[in-house]
Amino acid sequence: MTQEITFWVLAVIAVLGALVAVRRRNLIHGVFALMIFFASLSGLFLLLLAEFIAAVQILVYIGAVGILLLFAIMLTERVTGDDARDITSRGSFWGWAAALAVLVVLLLPAIQGADLSQVAKPINPSVKALGQQMMEPYVVTLEVLALLLTAALIGAVAASQGGEKTKEDTDDA
Amino acid sequence: MSFELIKDILLATVPLLVIFPSLFAFTTWMERKALARIQNRIGPNKTGIPCTRIGLFGLGQPAADGIKMIFKEDIVPRGADKLFHLLAPILALIPAMLILCFLPLEFPWGKFISGKVQAFMLDSAVIFFFAISGLATLAIFMAGWASRNKYSLLGGMRAVAQMVSYEIPLLLSAVVVVMMVGSLNAKEIADAQTGFNWFVFTPWGLAAFVIFFIAALAETNRSPFDLPEAESEIIAGYFTEYSGFKFALFFLGEYIAMFAISGLAVTLFLGAGDGPFLTSAPWLSVVWFIAKIFGLIAVMIWLRGTLPRLRVDQLMAFAWKFLLPLSIFNILLAGLTHFALDARVAATSDAILYSIHAPHTHSGEANHEHPKPVAGQKEAVMGALHYTDKNWMGAMKWFSKAALKGHAQSRSILGWGFGIWAMSLIVLYVMAKGLDNVSRSTAKPREYLYAE
Repeated sequence: MTQEITFWVLAVIAVLGALVAVRRRNLIHGVFALMIFFASLSGLFLLLLAEFIAAVQILVYIGAVGILLLFAIMLTERVTGDDARDITSRGSFWGWAAALAVLVVLLLPAIQGADLSQVAKPINPSVKALGQQMMEPYVVTLEVLALLLTAALIGAVAASQGGEKTKEDTDDA
Repeated sequence: MSFELIKDILLATVPLLVIFPSLFAFTTWMERKALARIQNRIGPNKTGIPCTRIGLFGLGQPAADGIKMIFKEDIVPRGADKLFHLLAPILALIPAMLILCFLPLEFPWGKFISGKVQAFMLDSAVIFFFAISGLATLAIFMAGWASRNKYSLLGGMRAVAQMVSYEIPLLLSAVVVVMMVGSLNAKEIADAQTGFNWFVFTPWGLAAFVIFFIAALAETNRSPFDLPEAESEIIAGYFTEYSGFKFALFFLGEYIAMFAISGLAVTLFLGAGDGPFLTSAPWLSVVWFIAKIFGLIAVMIWLRGTLPRLRVDQLMAFAWKFLLPLSIFNILLAGLTHFALDARVAATSDAILYSIHAPHTHSGEANHEHPKPVAGQKEAVMGALHYTDKNWMGAMKWFSKAALKGHAQSRSILGWGFGIWAMSLIVLYVMAKGLDNVSRSTAKPREYLYAE
């Protein structure tokens, strides 16, 4: 009972947050609404006992992606987000129609066809088991990903350093 | 929801909600007093019991400040984003209060309620702590942006940049402890340090503790990293447009975050609730825990009174070129020393234990002679047993007793232990010195001409 109430509260918050994030013209409001959406998703993960995923959801999506979006907005001219207009909805009919068509044609049959009585096996997703999975069968994947990310990081630093130092720069230093 | 569940929730959370805000009140008084003494002033000394002349060293000051804050006018700038301006102080407080739940604080309720109560036993408490503590910075950014004031916005952006930079060394220094304990659970980390087996006594633990503490100062915007609210540069940063109780909420959130991150430092490095007299009075663990938090807070106040503020480029250079390489190197060193010591001590302690068990296995033989007891054998065995229990400090105590009595194997273990200990400290010191020479920010302040 408690779990169901929590689920519905979180689900409603998530959907509302996502809607606000899409509909608001004000970029900063949009980003914070997106963060609310991420936070409620994390709550849903916690409800499923996937606590590590929940933590990573906050750490990566709110802590990294959200901050990155904020930084990006800060670099634009509309820092203050003055534009309070709503999004113009010309041709929105066709958008709604397409979305509805996807729902009715693709999603609903799949949902109805699924065997809902079958419940997933109760699992105990402990952090330790997850870490061992990462270190034993998937260690090569992990290392390759780490290498790729490090290369991207170094590349970003190199790119942001700019080209050759001019004479003026070297004089300063 | 059953009554039992509600009772448990209340028992676990109400002490947190009572203890830490009242500690906040006391800390503001302590900070003002300490800063005043550092600056050769007296500090608050008049406010005591109302309507009397009893001063109580100004202990009434927090209450007076609180009452003043409530009655102040709440000013919202005309151009401000009203909703975000209201939400920001509340959002600043929520994550700070939330992360208190992850600390392994166990309130012993004695005979009334069986068992100890901890607010939130999670398998991945440490990672949750970091995830949620980062959210407070978003509230700061929100405040800076919503005030529609360039100083506020600058403060907010500084806060975000600082948080992103210093979160990395903060996490990496905690990784060492997680690696050694093999668990992200705060309770297990606390249990691994019982019996004065604190991680701060190990070389890598000491280095990680110092890195963690510096990064924690930056995360909570404490001096010398208080750039987001630098009064002399950007007025008060994100605070600028806040007054009255909203300002007080920010203040409260900042201090609670200080308590929480000090609490994590205590959990990871200073043995959590471990301390003397715990066997006779287990309830003392909460007292030790809070006393250690207060010790760290006192150091923070002391640093605030002592150090000048960093420049932005110095701040960034320090995080990325000094703390980050040092904490990565520390992880490597921790792994190496751990394996070196472990391999050596495990082999020797097996030999010691075997030398005791061996006579028993051969006791059926007819020509058995009782082996001559070697000096210090008993102590060495005790040390080996402690070692297998992963109680390093206890093991070393027994080994040193055995070594004093002339037990050769214990002497060799101790030699290895101290050798590795000293070597790693020297290596860490050299590394830090070298990084310091390399990483100093080279930017010089611009020289202004009279014509400008």
